[in-house]
Amino acid sequence: MNTSYETIIIGGGVIGNSIAYHLSERYREGVLVIDKKYPLSGTSGSTQAWVWVHNKTPSSYAEFSMYSAELYPYLSRKIGDVEYKRTGGLSPFFNEKDRDKAKRLAESYREIGIKIKVLSREEVIEKEPSINPNVAGATFSKIDGNVNPFRLADMYMRAAKKNGIEYSYYNEVIDIQKKNDQFIVFSKNGEYTCKNVILAGGTWSRELGKMVGVHIPVNQVRGQILVTEPLKPFINYTISGMRQANNGEVLIGYSMEEAGFNRSTTLDVMQETANMAMYYIPDLGKAKVVRAFSGIRAVPEDGLPIIGKVPSVENLYVATMHSGITLSPLVGTLMTELLVDGDTSLSIAPYSIERFK
Amino acid sequence: MDKDTIICRCEELSFEEIEEVICLGAESFDDIKRITRCGMGPCQAKICADLVSKMIHEQTGKIYEEIPMPRMRMPVSPISIETLSTNSQHFSTVKSVLDEVELEDGKVR
Repeated sequence: MNTSYETIIIGGGVIGNSIAYHLSERYREGVLVIDKKYPLSGTSGSTQAWVWVHNKTPSSYAEFSMYSAELYPYLSRKIGDVEYKRTGGLSPFFNEKDRDKAKRLAESYREIGIKIKVLSREEVIEKEPSINPNVAGATFSKIDGNVNPFRLADMYMRAAKKNGIEYSYYNEVIDIQKKNDQFIVFSKNGEYTCKNVILAGGTWSRELGKMVGVHIPVNQVRGQILVTEPLKPFINYTISGMRQANNGEVLIGYSMEEAGFNRSTTLDVMQETANMAMYYIPDLGKAKVVRAFSGIRAVPEDGLPIIGKVPSVENLYVATMHSGITLSPLVGTLMTELLVDGDTSLSIAPYSIERFK
Repeated sequence: MDKDTIICRCEELSFEEIEEVICLGAESFDDIKRITRCGMGPCQAKICADLVSKMIHEQTGKIYEEIPMPRMRMPVSPISIETLSTNSQHFSTVKSVLDEVELEDGKVR
């Protein structure tokens, strides 16, 4: 068994896998991805998987997200069909007083060249005829969409493996030590040495950071989602709160709770989500809920991604964030540039871990 | 079993399709579910769960009793959204995206 690598990526979610795949385009040997379970058992496998740009603040972060969304069609051509659909994104509001807020959001985006429209009631109903006729308006952006997260991670993984990247599943990392120029990664199944370590553990980043004495301020936020039986296609856009998948299922949910790593679904939030579904789209009342699931999001303390070198430990890198689905193509590309070329084509300085000092 | 035998009826997955994911390192029903959608249909794995556990046992040699069961998901049997709903229009945990946009001095933060 090989135990010596150039780079070890800890975490096999969409971020770890995207980095692995993009690295494999530049160098094919000496990369290992370690995951404590099987990929998709964490955050990447329990999400509505919007590729979402609009409503993100500050506007520079929306711009960063936009570049990633722009990479999706290209990514699909390289790794295979990940069921990416640029449906356009609709954020409805039901109170006229929200229109001012929506207009200001559109204004702050105009300065950086992202076009979002503030729609009137009639315009929303024209676009999405099944929406609650009491809607007051919506913000709308053409660049938003969604993807199949299972296919996304699976395709990254298959493409990376084809290019020579090694994987180790069900292999929890227990400790990481630095000796001279080398890292020793201690895992359930053995020890590995490597030059570079990339921490891509998402919700578990804080714990991984502790192993190397680095404070990574990432918290956990639970989200619960209802999934309906397959319905005929009738939701045209990715609505903030729900989307319809290719097979006709509607995924509904926009909840946030602090519950640590507890991934239970709870009746009160399921009920509130059902209320929201009927409030947004009254026809959904008759649809059957096949299952509910919950996922734990990784949320850095200030909400923004943490990407790049960890200056206090040489050859240590971190890539952890909320919105990993939206950002994965871009983060994989930039992290590869950082490792191979030592610099990135797009500045990641605002997302450095240094900001938490 | 024949390679073409359907294991998951709801999602129409064959023996061969499940076998491939076990070869890729999956060790539990849920690992296979996430890659193939096996068990995600209306029956919620009631038909395929045991068949898949047997496949894992036969192909990996893992002890049958130690293979984790699929995670059961509420509501277990499908019910309509209006049955689940309480008709309240007060939202606390469930938010709208625009609620999260914060203004500072009349400008978006």
